[in-house]
Amino acid sequence: MIELKNIEKYYANKGVKSYILRHVTTSIKEGEFVSIMGPSGAGKSTLLNILGMLEDPTYGEYEFMGENITSLNERKRIELYRNHIGFVFQAYHLIDEMTVAENIEAPLLYKKIGGSERKSRVADVLDRFNMVAKKDLFPNQLSGGQQQLVGIARALVAQPSIILADEPTGNLQSAQALQIMDLFKKLNEEEGITIVQVTHSEINAGYGSRILHLLDGVIKEDVATTV
Amino acid sequence: MFKLNLKIALRNLWKNRASSLINITGLAIGLASCLLLLLYVSYEWNFDKQGENSSRIYQVLINFEKPEGITTGVQTPGIIGPVLKQNYPGIEAMSRMDYGSPWLIANGLKSFKKNGRFADPDLLNIFDYTFIAGDQKTALNDPNNVILSESTARVLFGRTDVLNKTLLFDHKVNLKVTGVIKDLPGNVSSNFDFLMPWSLLEAMNAWVKEPHWTNNQWITLVKLSPSADPVGINRMIKGLIQKNASNVKSSPFLFSFNKLHLYDTFNNGVSSGGKIDQVILFMGLAIGVLLIACINFMNMATAKSEKRAKEVGVKKTIGATRGSLISQFLMESMVLTLCSAVMAAALIEFFLPVFNNILGIELTIAYSNPMIWASLVTVVVLTGLISGSYPAFYLSSFNPVQALRKKIGSSGLSSIKLRQVLVVGQFCFAVILMISTAVIYKQIQYIKNRPIGYQLDQLVEMPQEGELQARFEPLKEKLLQSGAVTAVCQTSGTMSDSNSDFWGLEWAGATDAEKHIVFYQMATTYDFAKTTGLKITAGRDFSRRFASDSSGVMLSQLAIKKMNLQDPIGKVVRYQGQLCTIVGVFGDFTWDSPFKTGKPMLISFNKKNGGMITMRLNTAKPASANLAMIERITKEFNPAYPTDIRYVDRLFAEKLQTQKTLGVLSNLFGGLAIFISCMGLFGLAAYSAEQRTKEIGVRKVLGASVGSLMQLLSINFLKMVMTAVVIAVPIASYIMSYWLKGFEFHTGISWLIIAGAAIGTLSIALLTVSFQAYRAANSNPVEALKYE
Repeated sequence: MIELKNIEKYYANKGVKSYILRHVTTSIKEGEFVSIMGPSGAGKSTLLNILGMLEDPTYGEYEFMGENITSLNERKRIELYRNHIGFVFQAYHLIDEMTVAENIEAPLLYKKIGGSERKSRVADVLDRFNMVAKKDLFPNQLSGGQQQLVGIARALVAQPSIILADEPTGNLQSAQALQIMDLFKKLNEEEGITIVQVTHSEINAGYGSRILHLLDGVIKEDVATTV
Repeated sequence: MFKLNLKIALRNLWKNRASSLINITGLAIGLASCLLLLLYVSYEWNFDKQGENSSRIYQVLINFEKPEGITTGVQTPGIIGPVLKQNYPGIEAMSRMDYGSPWLIANGLKSFKKNGRFADPDLLNIFDYTFIAGDQKTALNDPNNVILSESTARVLFGRTDVLNKTLLFDHKVNLKVTGVIKDLPGNVSSNFDFLMPWSLLEAMNAWVKEPHWTNNQWITLVKLSPSADPVGINRMIKGLIQKNASNVKSSPFLFSFNKLHLYDTFNNGVSSGGKIDQVILFMGLAIGVLLIACINFMNMATAKSEKRAKEVGVKKTIGATRGSLISQFLMESMVLTLCSAVMAAALIEFFLPVFNNILGIELTIAYSNPMIWASLVTVVVLTGLISGSYPAFYLSSFNPVQALRKKIGSSGLSSIKLRQVLVVGQFCFAVILMISTAVIYKQIQYIKNRPIGYQLDQLVEMPQEGELQARFEPLKEKLLQSGAVTAVCQTSGTMSDSNSDFWGLEWAGATDAEKHIVFYQMATTYDFAKTTGLKITAGRDFSRRFASDSSGVMLSQLAIKKMNLQDPIGKVVRYQGQLCTIVGVFGDFTWDSPFKTGKPMLISFNKKNGGMITMRLNTAKPASANLAMIERITKEFNPAYPTDIRYVDRLFAEKLQTQKTLGVLSNLFGGLAIFISCMGLFGLAAYSAEQRTKEIGVRKVLGASVGSLMQLLSINFLKMVMTAVVIAVPIASYIMSYWLKGFEFHTGISWLIIAGAAIGTLSIALLTVSFQAYRAANSNPVEALKYE
């Protein structure tokens, strides 16, 4: 599904290149649950942003589902967002002015899906996440865990083939965090959705099938988790 | 999608109530001012453009060749119209018209002074009057016909179906009502309350009919056939007057009637603008005020960009295109503009009467007119687009990663600069308007305070009509006896404005060129200087003690100088074909425009040439009692006419009306511009304080005083306003000194005005900003640091 070849990312400042990523080469197959780990400043989030096409690598090749991303135009990129990629953020990033239902509905609007199907899909997701009662609340009326559930619901509603999660539980208490990781595992196993998450926590990483250890922009280790 | 965007836009408005209110109010004031000014502009623009055929109507003007260049006159001899109509087939209709004046018209005992005019029957084929009663084809055919305007009919009869009723005109002629027409709008230059046939004017004054080619008195209007070529006709008629009166050098030409109001200044025989300049100025003012309000909106929107950045970032990652984001932001600004438009409509309804009062015109909004709605919608949509476009394109351009990492603040350096430029622009405009206002006022004051050569104060006049002409002397005696007045004189015209001039005065030793000097002329009898307070510098005023004064004249000092006369008293001049002795020389007085030197003047003695009775009120008694006494006595002598006593100083003040209007409007809109700009500044200051809450908290914890924090928060804004002042002052000085140069008598731009405007603007801005700064600086640091 994802092929990275020799990805480099650096910022040139007064002639000095400060590297964020170096020689990152890896591939992620469909149905994998990958955790990216490493200390602060190792380049985890940058790598995830490059995977999500939010940032361009300075150098290297990136193929997403057989397509070379580096030469993709804005419109094609938005097409990919709409149809294949779902984002989950550490700070949830829900739209404050929209209710829970509207937040979940938003990606479908951009995908130009018809009104009745939209309604049924939103209802479906709300039902699955046990949030029907909260559908008319605004994000600031929810707890952090609930907000993150909405964030995941929003990522899922467009039926993406991959979910990119940047420390999805970073702002949550451990009980809520476990709930979210259980959800990810279930999605991965039952629906075959590819998941790539950045995390600090060994426990969270344990939910996945594979761990990429990053240190100073270089992949130090690439191991399968032992269950 | 549209519905959701609308819903969110409304939610956003409600959530940020305070800043929404600032935005909406500012924009509403801007919109209301802009629409009011545009209403005025369209009023002026559509002057004489009523009716489908207005573009085919022309007025005959005449270019006079004089040694100092070509001057253009709008008055024509009575004969030129019929001759044109007879000889040029392209002319479909022709009518002469007089300038209209208040005439007495009575229905039985109900008598009123109304604006009456005379015109040829063909006038009804030139203008599209709407007849409520009567037949357009025959309404002016007989000399005793009269057409009334609807409101005049109502005043006289109380109703409009008054065909064939009889009215008494000028206390002597019976007229039959043959038509009632709908009232004409205010922006028609040939307006009247009642219209009478030209044949009546000819019957009343035999000289009107005489075929003179040089007696320029009347308006001549023609309507060309659709295929006629005005340029060709102009070429053909150029020599018409010279062919018939060989001793004059003047050539007639046709000029578009619907352009004459705006382009009435002619330079060397060619139209060179006129009132159009003022209309363009007001249009600029309208757009300027609206732009200032739009800038507020843009500034507030971009200042909030950090808040909105997150939303943009998230939406982009879930598949929003830039287009959909732009349309969302534009939608928000449209919603806001619409709210403002509603508020603006209320403001306009409320302030239209005030505005009309200032301008002295009658503007109305024709709600049934689709054009009004179309232009309203256009202005609102344009405003929405302009004010929304910059935020829309700016906000939608955010890169999602940066937006989500909240880096916009530091990377938005260029946007901060643009915001500053916009604020500076706003205040520049405001300061320029402020300085202009002050200079205009100073100029008006300067002209008002210039000595005008006679005493305006307590001087009143009334028209000398009906019996007052023949029985002037007994009236004068009675008035003086009553003690209401201290002096009375008869003059051929009002003191307040020039109304007659001539050339061709001859005297011993005059050169040919000197015989072409143009003089003002006025005729009077006794007590002229005593009544008006005019200064006699040599010789004396006309006196009963000298019987020979009936053929005497007085000349102004300027006249003596231009004529090169030594020892003028006792010398003889030939005036209007008669030999007259110079009995006195008087100091020049302001008779024409108070802004420039007038012409030399000759005052003759003529008992028959009355027109106005000028009186000096007795200051020992209250003015109201004096006026009542004059009215009672006048009524005794002249019962048929209503008395119409006017203060000369008020009439004189009308000469400054154009400048006064300009002053009031620039004052009003300058004030509004500053107010709107300050509202914007208030919003920006509030936002900046909110954004720097954390910084303020940290600084307070480190021991910063309230004063230093206020300084920190205010200084940037004050710098912007200061820059605006520095830019605006030279621009304003340049514009205003150019404006002042247009007047022969003018004041200068004093440093006091500039300093006043600068300090005024700065202190208003300081007050606005420091209010917010004080609030922010006084907040509890713990509150501030709890954020994040």
